[in-house]
Amino acid sequence: MSSPSTGLRGRGRSEFGVALFLGGLGVLVIVQAALLEESLIVRGPVGPRTVPLLVGGLLVVVAAVLAVDVLRGGRGEPEGGEDVDLTSGSDWRTIALLAAAFVANALLIEPLGWPVSGAILFWGSAFALGSRHPVRDLAIAVVLSVGSWYLFVLGLGIALPVGVLQGIL
Amino acid sequence: MRTAPLRSLTAGALAAGLLLTGCGTTAEGGSAAGGAADGPVSGLRLLVPNSPGSGYDTTARAAAQVMEDEELAQGIEVFNLEGAGGTVGLQRLVNEEANADMLMQMGLGVVGAQYSNRSEATLDQTTPVARLIEEAEAIVVPADSPYQTLDQLVQAWSADPGTVPVGGASNPGGPDHLTAMLLAQEVGVDPTAVNYIAYDGGGELLAGILGGQIAAGATGVGEVAEQASAGEVRILGVTTEERVEGVDAPTLTEQGVDLVFTNWRGIVAAPGISAEEAQRHVDLVTEMHASEAWQQVLEEQGWTDAFLAGDEFGAFIDEESQRVQGVLGELGLA
Amino acid sequence: MGAFSELANGFATALTPENLMFALLGVLLGTAIGVLPGIGPAMAVALLLPLTRSLDATTALIMFAGIYYGGMYGGSTTSILLNTPGESASVVTALEGNKMARSGRAAQALATAAIGSFIAGTIATLLLALLAPTVADLAVGVGQADYFAVMVLAFIAVTSVLGSSRVRGLAALGLGLTIGLVGIDRSSGQQRLTFGVPELADGIDVVVVAVGLFAVGEALWIAAHLRRRPVEVIPVGNPRMSREDWRRSWKPWLRGTAIGFPFGAVPAGGAEIPTFLSYVTEKRLSKHPEEFGHGAIEGVAGPEATNNASAAGGLVPLLTLGIPVTATAAVLLAAITSFGIEPGPQLFDNEPELVWGLIASLFIGNTALLLLNLPLAPVWARLLRIPRSYLYAGILFFASLGAYAANASPFDLFLLLVIGALGFMMRRYGLPVLPAIIGAILGPFAEERLRTALQISNGELSGLITPFSAVVYTVVLLVLLWPLVRRLLPRRGLHVPVLDDAVHEIEEAHHHHGTTDAVSVETRSRPEEDRPGR
Repeated sequence: MSSPSTGLRGRGRSEFGVALFLGGLGVLVIVQAALLEESLIVRGPVGPRTVPLLVGGLLVVVAAVLAVDVLRGGRGEPEGGEDVDLTSGSDWRTIALLAAAFVANALLIEPLGWPVSGAILFWGSAFALGSRHPVRDLAIAVVLSVGSWYLFVLGLGIALPVGVLQGIL
Repeated sequence: MRTAPLRSLTAGALAAGLLLTGCGTTAEGGSAAGGAADGPVSGLRLLVPNSPGSGYDTTARAAAQVMEDEELAQGIEVFNLEGAGGTVGLQRLVNEEANADMLMQMGLGVVGAQYSNRSEATLDQTTPVARLIEEAEAIVVPADSPYQTLDQLVQAWSADPGTVPVGGASNPGGPDHLTAMLLAQEVGVDPTAVNYIAYDGGGELLAGILGGQIAAGATGVGEVAEQASAGEVRILGVTTEERVEGVDAPTLTEQGVDLVFTNWRGIVAAPGISAEEAQRHVDLVTEMHASEAWQQVLEEQGWTDAFLAGDEFGAFIDEESQRVQGVLGELGLA
Repeated sequence: MGAFSELANGFATALTPENLMFALLGVLLGTAIGVLPGIGPAMAVALLLPLTRSLDATTALIMFAGIYYGGMYGGSTTSILLNTPGESASVVTALEGNKMARSGRAAQALATAAIGSFIAGTIATLLLALLAPTVADLAVGVGQADYFAVMVLAFIAVTSVLGSSRVRGLAALGLGLTIGLVGIDRSSGQQRLTFGVPELADGIDVVVVAVGLFAVGEALWIAAHLRRRPVEVIPVGNPRMSREDWRRSWKPWLRGTAIGFPFGAVPAGGAEIPTFLSYVTEKRLSKHPEEFGHGAIEGVAGPEATNNASAAGGLVPLLTLGIPVTATAAVLLAAITSFGIEPGPQLFDNEPELVWGLIASLFIGNTALLLLNLPLAPVWARLLRIPRSYLYAGILFFASLGAYAANASPFDLFLLLVIGALGFMMRRYGLPVLPAIIGAILGPFAEERLRTALQISNGELSGLITPFSAVVYTVVLLVLLWPLVRRLLPRRGLHVPVLDDAVHEIEEAHHHHGTTDAVSVETRSRPEEDRPGR
């Protein structure tokens, strides 16, 4: 793993956010477990609440310990990798574009069908990731999405939505 | 983590053949509105509320195939929307108010799930079309069990229900669980006292029975018929009115237990459709049922015919719902 | 024992050029379908089953065996190349396999997976042929309480995968356990953490969790930090396994077989737990533990062998008792039945030709897999040479396709993105992904075993103690207390013969569960505590 970098400095405060997230999740799990009705079916000391209470407790304790750790200067080590450049901050624009392509597919897969939404997903992701060959990307995207549609629907009989291309494909 | 019920996947392989032929062209479409009673119906969509290869799925695809082959309908689209014991699909159907082209495959499991999952959409909102098939549930014990007859099992059960664990391959609210609970009610055991063990599918249940983990199991007779004929398990009773062909076991009623309860499957349509539209669906399924091809499917799949159409089916669903709600209510599940 | 001559007869009928051709065809199709997203081995076999219908029984069985092994191997291929496991059994493969692929060793990862699968499959099929009836009798006796005891051991083993910062490892474990809690509680029928969303009632599919955390999380993370300067393409390198690779692989293959087979043979044992146990075992025993998490070949060889051995082990309850314990086994049951074989206790006596034909077919299918896929490994590996933007776009594309095709629900796509966002957060703040996956897999298993055991005993805690589980708990106690005991002992007389013998025997007795190795983690991971005693 790469050495802690200078690029992600000032993460101290946001690390508390992780502790807060874990603690909040823990409380949520505990509250939800406490709201479960006592089951008339279950025998013995371990009911539907027991394990959630334990897991919620674990999360809360871990959150507290993590907060102390961060206070003492402990920092999580961001994951490195072949393609990862940790010397600069997070590129939120790329993430937003990528997430948008992903969500677009999820929203459009039923109304427009996989051949269209899948192509949008691939094309959008490639664009977000810095590809600047819109036409070539589009061609690849369409081949992939239409090809996979035919493969699944005709070859395997698994229905992927066809959407607006009903009657054309 | 959560695997699809195994009994479903067993059917998966069988369904695969149907799957391969089930879809193909997307060119046919259009609306079925006002469809002529004599010509083939087109544009129907049949919603399967659980996974491809499951029992509902196999039934739906077989029915659609027969309708197409017999030229009663063309271009039926069978699609799956699974989740929460079928209530995800039920909600979808109820949302399609007045859509005369939407049908849903369902069965006893959905009746139980609408309560145990506290579903907002309920079956009484839908338009009943027809019940198609049913399967007997079996009360089964290991071969070396001390219980030779249902009566012996019931005696031990009544004496101390907690120490006579009864297993099934469905979650609380599912067919096997309901069978155990209704049987308990009928023989005078308090359902809340029943010690029910929910196994993840027929395979695990069978292992539990063979391994002597549980005193008895309640499950579809098809799950245990082979093991029974091999002498590994003993079927103490079946829940149908008549004995099941090829299974050497008496019915519950023969043994003085007044319980007839089967795991059935049928088809319902969207809410709010007109009486004519409802009748058209009933006619379609009735014709499908009358065909030679359907009888052949029943034979091949080992399904028991349980055809019941229209209002009678609606009344049946109401009855079943009340019965199921009653027992689940006692258990705090409805 | 006439087993070998019976087997020879089986081979005699099976080995014709035509049959071999169908074996290769089956492997080819099985692999091709198995690599598709969202299609696990069970689905692949189910989809291709109709193809075998028109053939005569022997040929059909052989082609079918090829499809079966091909489908399983195809699933591993996507795990390794794209980090998108198609089923829970190949989740662990993705851990090291994909790291290897990223560092240009995809061909080696695929090769060790293929050879490991072959060796494990061969040994396990042999065990199946020789021991099936005996193993089946023993296996049915393993109850819920016994499983739970093994789970307790597994949770102790988890400490070895928590990573460099223990609190962050535990945080990840907690997140995984929380994900595992979502859904209907099978014992009581109540919904937990579903917040009235019906799509969550069946729980979150572990494949969605794995693909979300691995593939989507990684794609988002890398997108945020993508090197903008031109990156060198991933080198394919020498496509062959080096002598070093072989040296480091053969023991994990054998250990994986030993771990996987018994788990497969036990009803409800499955492949998730043994593949995980194999992974931790290899990590502990490796001479290069520091490579784990960065592409250690042992971490691919062991779990892949385990997966295959477990699949063959699953044939034991299937053939001898007619019990299908996994989804794939359920499809197999349907397939075998369609050839006129009725699995059950009398099968081996009544229909020897068919059984031995099937077993011979499994050998042939397995061999065909090796012959076909080993030369193909470098070809697959070249897939990773495409530009980064296409690679990650493709991963997102196939991850979405798989998530949608499995359940036909757009909801799963949103779920995938949410879990992907979680994976992003974990990468950014140094929470290891592995404990989260383990938590999501182990948590529900352990809870269900515990509660079913208690339910069967009508709530009596004594129901948790069986002869087997008592032994396992003793091991757990010894492992937990060992550092303490050792410190209390006089320096010279470090060896208390009785205790040593006991530990040794327990290790021997339970070696097939592969848990003792994993457990020693706890002892060894605290060197500083041992030091004062020296």
